[in-house]
Amino acid sequence: MTPTLDCVASLNDHGDRVWDVKWNPKGTLLATCGTDKTIRIWGKEGDKWVCKSILQDGHQRTIRKVGWSPCGNKLASASFDATICIWDKSSGQFESAATLEGHENEVKAVAWSQSGEYLATCSRDKSVWIWSVDDEEDDFECAGVLTVHTQDVKDIAWHPFEPIVASASYDDTIKLFKEDDGEWLSFATLSGHSSTVWSVSWSKDGRRLVSGSDDKTIKVWQKYEPGNMEGIATKGETPTWKCVCTLSGYFNQPIYCVTWCHQTDMIAACSGDNSIIVFREDESSGDSDPIFSVVASTQQAHDQDVNAVSWNPTTPGLLASCSDDSCIKLWKIEIDG
Amino acid sequence: MTSNFSGALQLTDLNDFIAPSQECIKPVEVKKSIPKKGLSKIKVSNDGSYMEVDTSGKSKKLQKAEITLNDCLACSGCVTSAETVLIAMQSKDEFYKVLKENKETSPEKRKIIVVSVSPQSRASIAAKHKLDVRKAGKAIDAFFKSLGADIVLDTTFAEEIALVKTAEEFIQRYRDNQSKKSLPVLTSSCPGWICYAEKTHGDLTLPYISSVKSPQQILGSLVKETVSSHVNKTPDNVYHVTVMPCYDKKLEASRQDFYDDIYSTRDVDLVLTSGEVEEMIAGECGTMDDLIVKVDAINNNASTDEPLSHGGGGSGGYLHHVYKHAAQQLFGVKVEEVVYKPARNNKDFRDVTLKDADGKILLNFASVYGFRSIQNLVQKMKRGRCNYHFVEVMACPSGCLNGGGQIKAPGGDRELQKDIFSSVQIAFNEIPPTEAREDSAVNQTIMDYDITKSKQLFHTQYHAVEKDETLSLNVKW
Repeated sequence: MTPTLDCVASLNDHGDRVWDVKWNPKGTLLATCGTDKTIRIWGKEGDKWVCKSILQDGHQRTIRKVGWSPCGNKLASASFDATICIWDKSSGQFESAATLEGHENEVKAVAWSQSGEYLATCSRDKSVWIWSVDDEEDDFECAGVLTVHTQDVKDIAWHPFEPIVASASYDDTIKLFKEDDGEWLSFATLSGHSSTVWSVSWSKDGRRLVSGSDDKTIKVWQKYEPGNMEGIATKGETPTWKCVCTLSGYFNQPIYCVTWCHQTDMIAACSGDNSIIVFREDESSGDSDPIFSVVASTQQAHDQDVNAVSWNPTTPGLLASCSDDSCIKLWKIEIDG
Repeated sequence: MTSNFSGALQLTDLNDFIAPSQECIKPVEVKKSIPKKGLSKIKVSNDGSYMEVDTSGKSKKLQKAEITLNDCLACSGCVTSAETVLIAMQSKDEFYKVLKENKETSPEKRKIIVVSVSPQSRASIAAKHKLDVRKAGKAIDAFFKSLGADIVLDTTFAEEIALVKTAEEFIQRYRDNQSKKSLPVLTSSCPGWICYAEKTHGDLTLPYISSVKSPQQILGSLVKETVSSHVNKTPDNVYHVTVMPCYDKKLEASRQDFYDDIYSTRDVDLVLTSGEVEEMIAGECGTMDDLIVKVDAINNNASTDEPLSHGGGGSGGYLHHVYKHAAQQLFGVKVEEVVYKPARNNKDFRDVTLKDADGKILLNFASVYGFRSIQNLVQKMKRGRCNYHFVEVMACPSGCLNGGGQIKAPGGDRELQKDIFSSVQIAFNEIPPTEAREDSAVNQTIMDYDITKSKQLFHTQYHAVEKDETLSLNVKW
């Protein structure tokens, strides 16, 4: 019997569906957003988690996702109103610093590159946009518009240290983009899921990518460089990405979010079946055929769909989740060994 | 499936490939016939057509509702179907069909077939076959004549009219700007940009877009006007085909603004891309060498005129011409060389400035190519940070020589595509540029028309497309 997740806090303030939850880089603040068009910033006071500020009037419609800048001073929010808001707390309080326009319709996700140099956004308009960030002037310039997906783009995630971004789409694929000679372009398509890919997340070393899909499976993809020992075919100087593990049978409904913890290497996944399951690679498993086992799970984590999960980047085993039931929950996972 | 349209158009939902019949929301006008008594049934017959069966058992074939490309362009719905409709209406098959019909018609009823070839397409075909661009021009000329074309033209003539007219408009608007904001002038020759501007940034950009028609449409007006009167026929008896580096030009030719209601004819009837013409040559002649032999054989009859070219690159040279002209007209400065300063990280966003002795900016121009650059321009305008007087806007990265209709590298090979692009540039530059307005034929043509006629022939207007919010409801989050 696998251990269950230990709920350490339940935060209920949005009063409506909560779409996303993200820890800041220091792990001291939690940003949440949802249908109520607000962003809430939560922090610990004593041993209680409290809502420290509410960011509102930035968007006309639902806020789908948020993303922290690597310095932790900025937060970007992606909304169904087709815009992205940049919130800045350099002055102490969060203030709306810029609005990015350009997407044709609902923006589904936003993420800052690890260097802070770029912001990536994606939308129902099927495009992924790369914005170059000029921190001094708070200026965001469009550096690329990538229209290679054939459907709604659901999620984006930056590589942990290279200027590479991964996108997940309703067209069932994941695409990888990089910059070449001043131009952003797609260099890999990861096909294998049989339905919408809702979420992608990178491993700490950037060699692997985990994806969660509407097909109720989780897939782990691995990079193979040209001339690899395993004899996986590559084309020219481009590495090949191959699915090395599919986790199926764990969820009864679509998997809406997967996230790979860079401290503990655990993968948390959440689903429309109200559950959260945490996986970790078996120590004995081989590089090209890894085995992932459940280390903790909770069937009824929330009363409704669980939309997102986020690992605290400084406290190992602390996980935040949010749901259609308008609740945000914090969970503790005891790690053995 | 990748689309041939420019990036700007793809983002405006032109690429969904929904067949018109399935999800089109455009209400179709139904002609009311005399009301019949009693109920009737609708049956699907064996061939798939719909039959109306009345109470007496008599059946009648029902008319099919057809959505034209124009319906699609005027609607903010799927628009996606445009591709399907477009392929049917503006294809080489359609061109062959017209040629065939024309040959089978009695001589006095035949249409005059005019083909106008853009210099970018000529360069694309020259580069593909490693030919001197002049020779390629003659080969294309001979090729279309062998198919049944009566006249083959070079669009550079119309390009020159567009340059002169744009410069004229700029000087006027620069002077007006002292009293009311009428700058920047944004160029209007790129249909991808126009379509994007109309659909997404109507209020913001349309007032600033130059009213001058693109070279394709100027030539469209002139051909229908002059050729038809010359041979004493009505405009609908002249069939005008253009060869363009650009897929979006097909949409431009289909605009209602360029349709003659009186004679039910378009200024440009059909647009073929460089790539489509290349396919036609391969299909008809086997190899280019065979065609060259033919060209050499009939060389005596072919025009020996040197093709024209304008400075300022392969996208029409708008900035180049207007900048030089304005510097001279407004400040008495003779510009020898136009110096472009590319933006940080973006070679497709370039500034050109003219300063006085104290360093004060007199003219601030930009050339903005590619969707990414267009975005940054639009955002600058939105935030009130756009200080340009004039902007040459093109939807394709690197401009028209790299247009979506040019001959492409097989399999979309990126490295190969770069090589092809540089050989197209080399081919294009083989013709030494002449300054616009030195050509007296152009001046003569412009002088021929009074203000009203000139407006009709050389200018057009733009229409913002209203967004229909209800269209986005049927979506899975």
